[in-house]
Amino acid sequence: MGGIESISTGAASQDDLYRNAADQYGSSLERLAIAYEADPEKRRDLSQDIHFQLWRSFESYDARCSLRTWVYRVAHHVAASHVLRERKIFSKLVSLEELEMLPDQEPPGHIEMDQRRNLERLSVLIQRLKPLDRQVIVGYLEDMDAASIGEITGLSPGNVAVRIHRIKNILARRFHQGGSHAE
Amino acid sequence: MPNDSSRHDPITIWKNQPTEPSTMTLLLIRSKVRELRARTRRESLGTLAGPIAVGAFYGFAIKEFHGFAPALELVFAFAILWSLAGLYFLNRGMWSRAMPGDAALSTGLEFYRRELERRQRLFRRALGWSLGPILLAIATFILYLAMVGGARFFPNGLPFLALVVLWIAAYFAMRMRGQRELQREIDELNEIESADGST
Repeated sequence: MGGIESISTGAASQDDLYRNAADQYGSSLERLAIAYEADPEKRRDLSQDIHFQLWRSFESYDARCSLRTWVYRVAHHVAASHVLRERKIFSKLVSLEELEMLPDQEPPGHIEMDQRRNLERLSVLIQRLKPLDRQVIVGYLEDMDAASIGEITGLSPGNVAVRIHRIKNILARRFHQGGSHAE
Repeated sequence: MPNDSSRHDPITIWKNQPTEPSTMTLLLIRSKVRELRARTRRESLGTLAGPIAVGAFYGFAIKEFHGFAPALELVFAFAILWSLAGLYFLNRGMWSRAMPGDAALSTGLEFYRRELERRQRLFRRALGWSLGPILLAIATFILYLAMVGGARFFPNGLPFLALVVLWIAAYFAMRMRGQRELQREIDELNEIESADGST
Protein backbone atom coordinates (compact mmCIF):
# COMPACT_ATOMS: atom_id res chain seq x y z
CA MET A 1 0.00 0.00 0.00
CA GLY A 2 3.06 2.22 -0.09
CA GLY A 3 1.92 3.82 -3.32
CA ILE A 4 -1.37 4.88 -1.80
CA GLU A 5 0.21 6.27 1.34
CA SER A 6 2.67 8.47 -0.50
CA ILE A 7 0.31 9.97 -3.06
CA SER A 8 0.74 13.55 -1.89
CA THR A 9 4.40 13.80 -2.97
CA GLY A 10 4.86 15.58 -6.25
CA ALA A 11 1.10 16.04 -6.47
CA ALA A 12 1.25 19.09 -8.76
CA SER A 13 3.05 17.41 -11.64
CA GLN A 14 1.13 14.20 -11.08
CA ASP A 15 -2.15 16.12 -11.35
CA ASP A 16 -0.94 18.01 -14.41
CA LEU A 17 0.16 14.85 -16.15
CA TYR A 18 -3.16 13.23 -15.39
CA ARG A 19 -5.16 16.23 -16.64
CA ASN A 20 -3.12 16.32 -19.82
CA ALA A 21 -3.61 12.58 -20.42
CA ALA A 22 -7.33 12.72 -19.63
CA ASP A 23 -7.77 15.64 -22.06
CA GLN A 24 -5.86 13.92 -24.85
CA TYR A 25 -7.01 10.34 -24.42
CA GLY A 26 -10.32 10.66 -22.55
CA SER A 27 -12.52 9.43 -25.40
CA SER A 28 -10.08 6.67 -26.36
CA LEU A 29 -10.16 5.44 -22.76
CA GLU A 30 -13.95 5.40 -22.80
CA ARG A 31 -13.88 3.32 -25.97
CA LEU A 32 -11.28 1.04 -24.41
CA ALA A 33 -13.62 0.43 -21.47
CA ILE A 34 -16.34 -0.56 -23.96
CA ALA A 35 -13.94 -3.14 -25.40
CA TYR A 36 -13.58 -4.77 -22.00
CA GLU A 37 -16.99 -4.49 -20.35
CA ALA A 38 -20.46 -4.86 -21.84
CA ASP A 39 -22.46 -3.94 -18.76
CA PRO A 40 -22.87 -0.12 -18.60
CA GLU A 41 -22.82 0.04 -14.81
CA LYS A 42 -19.68 -2.07 -14.50
CA ARG A 43 -18.18 -0.17 -17.39
CA ARG A 44 -18.58 3.10 -15.51
CA ASP A 45 -16.73 1.55 -12.56
CA LEU A 46 -14.01 0.21 -14.85
CA SER A 47 -13.61 3.58 -16.50
CA GLN A 48 -13.27 5.26 -13.10
CA ASP A 49 -10.74 2.63 -12.07
CA ILE A 50 -8.72 3.29 -15.22
CA HIS A 51 -8.65 7.02 -14.51
CA PHE A 52 -7.77 6.43 -10.88
CA GLN A 53 -4.91 4.04 -11.66
CA LEU A 54 -3.72 6.35 -14.40
CA TRP A 55 -3.51 9.21 -11.94
CA ARG A 56 -1.65 6.99 -9.46
CA SER A 57 0.75 5.79 -12.14
CA PHE A 58 1.88 9.34 -12.92
CA GLU A 59 3.58 9.42 -9.57
CA SER A 60 6.36 7.37 -11.17
CA TYR A 61 6.14 8.59 -14.78
CA ASP A 62 9.66 9.23 -16.04
CA ALA A 63 9.08 9.69 -19.76
CA ARG A 64 10.90 6.43 -20.51
CA CYS A 65 8.11 5.78 -22.99
CA SER A 66 5.69 8.13 -24.72
CA LEU A 67 2.67 9.44 -22.88
CA ARG A 68 0.39 7.52 -25.24
CA THR A 69 2.15 4.19 -24.61
CA TRP A 70 2.04 4.82 -20.87
CA VAL A 71 -1.67 5.71 -20.88
CA TYR A 72 -2.64 2.70 -22.98
CA ARG A 73 -0.49 0.30 -20.97
CA VAL A 74 -2.04 1.40 -17.68
CA ALA A 75 -5.55 1.32 -19.13
CA HIS A 76 -5.10 -2.15 -20.65
CA HIS A 77 -3.53 -3.47 -17.43
CA VAL A 78 -6.48 -2.27 -15.34
CA ALA A 79 -8.95 -3.62 -17.87
CA ALA A 80 -7.19 -7.01 -18.16
CA SER A 81 -7.26 -7.39 -14.35
CA HIS A 82 -10.96 -6.50 -14.49
CA VAL A 83 -11.58 -9.25 -17.06
CA LEU A 84 -9.77 -11.77 -14.84
CA ARG A 85 -11.71 -10.76 -11.74
CA GLU A 86 -15.06 -10.82 -13.50
CA ARG A 87 -14.47 -14.03 -15.44
CA LYS A 88 -17.13 -16.63 -14.82
CA ILE A 89 -16.02 -20.22 -14.35
CA PHE A 90 -17.72 -21.52 -17.50
CA SER A 91 -17.14 -18.52 -19.73
CA LYS A 92 -14.50 -18.87 -22.39
CA LEU A 93 -12.59 -16.14 -24.15
CA VAL A 94 -11.20 -16.89 -27.57
CA SER A 95 -8.07 -15.95 -29.47
CA LEU A 96 -8.07 -14.26 -32.88
CA GLU A 97 -7.21 -17.60 -34.49
CA GLU A 98 -10.22 -19.25 -32.89
CA LEU A 99 -12.47 -16.33 -33.73
CA GLU A 100 -11.41 -16.54 -37.36
CA MET A 101 -12.62 -20.16 -37.43
CA LEU A 102 -15.92 -19.50 -35.69
CA PRO A 103 -18.99 -18.87 -37.82
CA ASP A 104 -20.77 -15.57 -37.32
CA GLN A 105 -23.43 -16.12 -34.68
CA GLU A 106 -25.85 -13.81 -36.38
CA PRO A 107 -27.44 -15.25 -39.53
CA PRO A 108 -26.99 -12.78 -42.39
CA GLY A 109 -30.73 -12.69 -42.97
CA HIS A 110 -31.27 -10.85 -39.69
CA ILE A 111 -28.55 -8.28 -40.05
CA GLU A 112 -29.73 -4.72 -40.00
CA MET A 113 -26.73 -2.79 -41.17
CA ASP A 114 -27.16 0.54 -39.47
CA GLN A 115 -24.37 2.29 -37.63
CA ARG A 116 -25.63 1.43 -34.14
CA ARG A 117 -26.10 -2.24 -34.95
CA ASN A 118 -22.65 -2.43 -36.53
CA LEU A 119 -21.10 -0.89 -33.47
CA GLU A 120 -22.91 -3.35 -31.23
CA ARG A 121 -21.65 -6.29 -33.27
CA LEU A 122 -18.13 -4.93 -33.25
CA SER A 123 -18.19 -4.47 -29.46
CA VAL A 124 -19.55 -7.98 -28.88
CA LEU A 125 -16.86 -9.41 -31.14
CA ILE A 126 -14.08 -7.59 -29.23
CA GLN A 127 -15.49 -8.57 -25.84
CA ARG A 128 -15.16 -12.26 -26.75
CA LEU A 129 -11.42 -11.99 -27.24
CA LYS A 130 -8.62 -12.76 -24.81
CA PRO A 131 -7.05 -9.64 -23.28
CA LEU A 132 -3.87 -9.68 -25.39
CA ASP A 133 -5.81 -9.89 -28.64
CA ARG A 134 -8.17 -7.21 -27.37
CA GLN A 135 -5.18 -4.93 -26.91
CA VAL A 136 -4.20 -5.51 -30.53
CA ILE A 137 -7.69 -4.97 -31.94
CA VAL A 138 -8.25 -1.84 -29.85
CA GLY A 139 -4.92 -0.48 -31.08
CA TYR A 140 -5.89 -1.27 -34.65
CA LEU A 141 -9.31 0.37 -34.30
CA GLU A 142 -7.67 3.42 -32.73
CA ASP A 143 -5.60 3.68 -35.93
CA MET A 144 -2.23 2.86 -34.35
CA ASP A 145 0.60 1.38 -36.37
CA ALA A 146 2.09 -2.07 -35.65
CA ALA A 147 5.14 -0.63 -33.89
CA SER A 148 3.00 1.38 -31.42
CA ILE A 149 0.76 -1.61 -30.73
CA GLY A 150 3.89 -3.71 -30.21
CA GLU A 151 5.25 -1.22 -27.70
CA ILE A 152 2.04 -1.41 -25.67
CA THR A 153 1.50 -5.16 -25.88
CA GLY A 154 5.09 -6.43 -25.89
CA LEU A 155 4.53 -8.33 -29.15
CA SER A 156 7.00 -7.99 -31.99
CA PRO A 157 5.84 -5.77 -34.89
CA GLY A 158 5.78 -8.90 -37.08
CA ASN A 159 3.49 -10.69 -34.68
CA VAL A 160 1.25 -7.61 -34.44
CA ALA A 161 1.13 -7.44 -38.24
CA VAL A 162 -0.01 -11.08 -38.43
CA ARG A 163 -2.71 -10.41 -35.86
CA ILE A 164 -3.86 -7.28 -37.63
CA HIS A 165 -4.11 -9.28 -40.84
CA ARG A 166 -6.37 -11.74 -38.99
CA ILE A 167 -8.43 -8.89 -37.54
CA LYS A 168 -8.92 -7.42 -41.01
CA ASN A 169 -10.06 -10.80 -42.32
CA ILE A 170 -12.52 -11.28 -39.50
CA LEU A 171 -13.92 -7.77 -39.77
CA ALA A 172 -14.13 -7.88 -43.55
CA ARG A 173 -15.96 -11.20 -43.46
CA ARG A 174 -18.41 -10.13 -40.79
CA PHE A 175 -19.08 -6.59 -41.84
CA HIS A 176 -18.97 -6.72 -45.60
CA GLN A 177 -20.93 -9.96 -45.65
CA GLY A 178 -23.69 -8.24 -43.71
CA GLY A 179 -23.29 -5.04 -45.68
CA SER A 180 -23.68 -6.64 -49.08
CA HIS A 181 -26.71 -8.50 -47.86
CA ALA A 182 -28.38 -5.31 -46.76
CA GLU A 183 -27.71 -3.54 -50.01
CA MET B 1 -25.56 10.85 -42.41
CA PRO B 2 -22.42 8.74 -42.95
CA ASN B 3 -21.83 7.45 -46.45
CA ASP B 4 -22.20 3.75 -47.21
CA SER B 5 -18.53 2.75 -47.06
CA SER B 6 -17.97 4.49 -43.71
CA ARG B 7 -21.02 2.68 -42.34
CA HIS B 8 -19.11 -0.58 -42.88
CA ASP B 9 -15.62 0.60 -42.00
CA PRO B 10 -14.90 -0.77 -38.51
CA ILE B 11 -12.35 1.94 -37.67
CA THR B 12 -14.83 4.69 -38.51
CA ILE B 13 -17.60 2.91 -36.67
CA TRP B 14 -15.38 2.43 -33.64
CA LYS B 15 -13.99 5.94 -33.51
CA ASN B 16 -17.31 7.66 -34.16
CA GLN B 17 -19.23 5.87 -31.47
CA PRO B 18 -20.84 8.08 -28.85
CA THR B 19 -19.02 7.92 -25.52
CA GLU B 20 -19.98 9.19 -22.11
CA PRO B 21 -17.63 11.94 -21.01
CA SER B 22 -15.58 10.84 -18.02
CA THR B 23 -16.94 12.02 -14.70
CA MET B 24 -13.61 11.65 -12.93
CA THR B 25 -12.29 14.75 -11.27
CA LEU B 26 -9.23 15.07 -9.08
CA LEU B 27 -11.57 15.40 -6.10
CA LEU B 28 -13.25 12.13 -7.01
CA ILE B 29 -9.85 10.49 -7.46
CA ARG B 30 -8.87 11.44 -3.94
CA SER B 31 -12.08 9.96 -2.59
CA LYS B 32 -11.25 6.80 -4.57
CA VAL B 33 -7.96 6.56 -2.65
CA ARG B 34 -9.93 6.48 0.60
CA GLU B 35 -12.37 3.98 -0.90
CA LEU B 36 -9.47 1.73 -1.93
CA ARG B 37 -8.08 1.74 1.61
CA ALA B 38 -11.51 0.88 3.04
CA ARG B 39 -11.96 -1.93 0.52
CA THR B 40 -8.57 -3.40 1.39
CA ARG B 41 -9.57 -3.40 5.06
CA ARG B 42 -12.88 -5.12 4.21
CA GLU B 43 -11.06 -7.74 2.15
CA SER B 44 -8.72 -8.40 5.08
CA LEU B 45 -11.76 -9.01 7.26
CA GLY B 46 -13.04 -11.52 4.69
CA THR B 47 -10.06 -13.76 5.37
CA LEU B 48 -11.37 -14.18 8.93
CA ALA B 49 -14.02 -16.54 7.51
CA GLY B 50 -11.67 -19.55 7.79
CA PRO B 51 -10.80 -19.25 11.51
CA ILE B 52 -14.43 -18.34 12.31
CA ALA B 53 -15.77 -21.45 10.56
CA VAL B 54 -13.18 -23.69 12.21
CA GLY B 55 -13.85 -22.07 15.61
CA ALA B 56 -17.61 -22.59 15.19
CA PHE B 57 -17.16 -26.31 14.50
CA TYR B 58 -14.75 -26.57 17.40
CA GLY B 59 -17.04 -24.70 19.80
CA PHE B 60 -20.03 -26.84 18.87
CA ALA B 61 -18.07 -30.07 19.17
CA ILE B 62 -16.65 -29.11 22.58
CA LYS B 63 -20.09 -28.14 23.83
CA GLU B 64 -21.69 -31.38 22.68
CA PHE B 65 -18.97 -33.94 23.15
CA HIS B 66 -16.49 -32.48 25.64
CA GLY B 67 -14.04 -35.10 26.97
CA PHE B 68 -15.30 -37.73 24.57
CA ALA B 69 -12.20 -37.88 22.37
CA PRO B 70 -9.25 -35.71 23.51
CA ALA B 71 -7.27 -36.65 20.40
CA LEU B 72 -9.94 -35.08 18.19
CA GLU B 73 -9.86 -31.93 20.32
CA LEU B 74 -6.16 -31.72 19.56
CA VAL B 75 -6.94 -31.99 15.83
CA PHE B 76 -9.41 -29.11 16.18
CA ALA B 77 -6.84 -27.04 18.03
CA PHE B 78 -4.41 -27.73 15.19
CA ALA B 79 -7.01 -26.69 12.60
CA ILE B 80 -7.54 -23.40 14.45
CA LEU B 81 -3.80 -22.71 14.60
CA TRP B 82 -3.53 -23.59 10.92
CA SER B 83 -6.30 -21.18 9.92
CA LEU B 84 -4.85 -18.42 12.09
CA ALA B 85 -1.48 -18.82 10.39
CA GLY B 86 -3.44 -18.70 7.13
CA LEU B 87 -4.65 -15.20 8.00
CA TYR B 88 -1.10 -13.93 7.69
CA PHE B 89 -0.31 -15.74 4.44
CA LEU B 90 -3.63 -14.89 2.81
CA ASN B 91 -3.35 -11.20 3.64
CA ARG B 92 0.19 -11.13 2.33
CA GLY B 93 -0.77 -12.09 -1.20
CA MET B 94 -4.29 -10.79 -1.32
CA TRP B 95 -6.02 -9.88 -4.57
CA SER B 96 -5.91 -6.13 -4.57
CA ARG B 97 -7.25 -3.57 -6.99
CA ALA B 98 -4.20 -1.39 -6.40
CA MET B 99 -1.77 -1.76 -9.28
CA PRO B 100 1.96 -1.62 -8.59
CA GLY B 101 3.29 1.89 -9.23
CA ASP B 102 5.69 0.74 -11.94
CA ALA B 103 3.13 -1.43 -13.74
CA ALA B 104 3.13 0.85 -16.78
CA LEU B 105 6.75 -0.13 -17.42
CA SER B 106 5.57 -3.66 -18.19
CA THR B 107 4.06 -4.52 -21.52
CA GLY B 108 0.58 -5.95 -21.83
CA LEU B 109 1.96 -9.47 -22.26
CA GLU B 110 4.19 -9.32 -19.16
CA PHE B 111 1.53 -7.76 -16.99
CA TYR B 112 -1.23 -10.16 -18.02
CA ARG B 113 1.00 -13.20 -17.43
CA ARG B 114 1.94 -11.89 -13.99
CA GLU B 115 -1.75 -11.39 -13.17
CA LEU B 116 -2.55 -14.95 -14.27
CA GLU B 117 0.29 -16.32 -12.15
CA ARG B 118 -0.82 -14.19 -9.21
CA ARG B 119 -4.31 -15.58 -9.48
CA GLN B 120 -2.95 -19.13 -9.53
CA ARG B 121 -0.86 -18.48 -6.43
CA LEU B 122 -3.83 -16.89 -4.67
CA PHE B 123 -5.95 -19.95 -5.31
CA ARG B 124 -3.24 -22.29 -3.99
CA ARG B 125 -2.83 -20.13 -0.91
CA ALA B 126 -6.56 -20.01 -0.28
CA LEU B 127 -6.70 -23.77 -0.68
CA GLY B 128 -3.86 -24.44 1.73
CA TRP B 129 -4.50 -21.80 4.33
CA SER B 130 -8.25 -21.29 4.36
CA LEU B 131 -10.04 -24.28 2.89
CA GLY B 132 -7.53 -26.82 4.30
CA PRO B 133 -8.30 -26.12 7.98
CA ILE B 134 -12.05 -25.92 7.27
CA LEU B 135 -12.00 -29.35 5.61
CA LEU B 136 -9.99 -30.76 8.49
CA ALA B 137 -12.51 -29.31 10.99
CA ILE B 138 -15.47 -30.74 9.00
CA ALA B 139 -13.80 -34.16 8.78
CA THR B 140 -13.06 -34.13 12.51
CA PHE B 141 -16.62 -33.06 13.27
CA ILE B 142 -18.04 -35.88 11.16
CA LEU B 143 -15.71 -38.28 12.96
CA TYR B 144 -17.05 -37.01 16.29
CA LEU B 145 -20.62 -37.58 15.13
CA ALA B 146 -19.76 -41.08 13.89
CA MET B 147 -18.04 -41.98 17.17
CA VAL B 148 -20.85 -40.60 19.32
CA GLY B 149 -23.70 -41.92 17.18
CA GLY B 150 -22.00 -45.22 16.33
CA ALA B 151 -23.81 -47.34 13.80
CA ARG B 152 -26.92 -45.11 14.12
CA PHE B 153 -25.05 -42.16 12.61
CA PHE B 154 -24.62 -43.67 9.19
CA PRO B 155 -28.24 -44.02 8.08
CA ASN B 156 -29.16 -40.68 9.70
CA GLY B 157 -26.04 -38.76 8.81
CA LEU B 158 -25.62 -40.14 5.33
CA PRO B 159 -27.50 -37.34 3.49
CA PHE B 160 -25.42 -34.73 5.34
CA LEU B 161 -22.23 -36.61 4.60
CA ALA B 162 -23.15 -37.01 0.94
CA LEU B 163 -23.93 -33.31 0.69
CA VAL B 164 -20.58 -32.34 2.20
CA VAL B 165 -18.68 -34.67 -0.10
CA LEU B 166 -20.60 -33.43 -3.13
CA TRP B 167 -19.97 -29.79 -2.22
CA ILE B 168 -16.26 -30.41 -1.78
CA ALA B 169 -15.99 -32.41 -5.01
CA ALA B 170 -17.90 -29.75 -7.00
CA TYR B 171 -15.79 -26.98 -5.51
CA PHE B 172 -12.57 -28.74 -6.41
CA ALA B 173 -13.73 -29.72 -9.89
CA MET B 174 -14.67 -26.13 -10.72
CA ARG B 175 -11.53 -24.68 -9.23
CA MET B 176 -9.28 -27.17 -10.95
CA ARG B 177 -10.93 -26.36 -14.24
CA GLY B 178 -10.25 -22.68 -13.60
CA GLN B 179 -6.64 -23.49 -12.74
CA ARG B 180 -6.17 -25.49 -15.92
CA GLU B 181 -7.60 -22.61 -17.93
CA LEU B 182 -5.18 -20.17 -16.26
CA GLN B 183 -2.25 -22.50 -16.92
CA ARG B 184 -3.27 -22.89 -20.54
CA GLU B 185 -3.31 -19.13 -20.96
CA ILE B 186 0.11 -18.78 -19.28
CA ASP B 187 1.51 -21.45 -21.62
CA GLU B 188 0.02 -19.64 -24.62
CA LEU B 189 1.64 -16.37 -23.55
CA ASN B 190 4.97 -18.14 -23.04
CA GLU B 191 4.68 -19.64 -26.50
CA ILE B 192 3.89 -16.26 -28.04
CA GLU B 193 6.90 -14.76 -26.28
CA SER B 194 9.30 -17.50 -27.26
CA ALA B 195 8.07 -17.43 -30.87
CA ASP B 196 8.59 -13.64 -30.88
CA GLY B 197 12.07 -14.08 -29.43
CA SER B 198 13.09 -16.65 -32.00
CA THR B 199 11.99 -14.58 -35.01
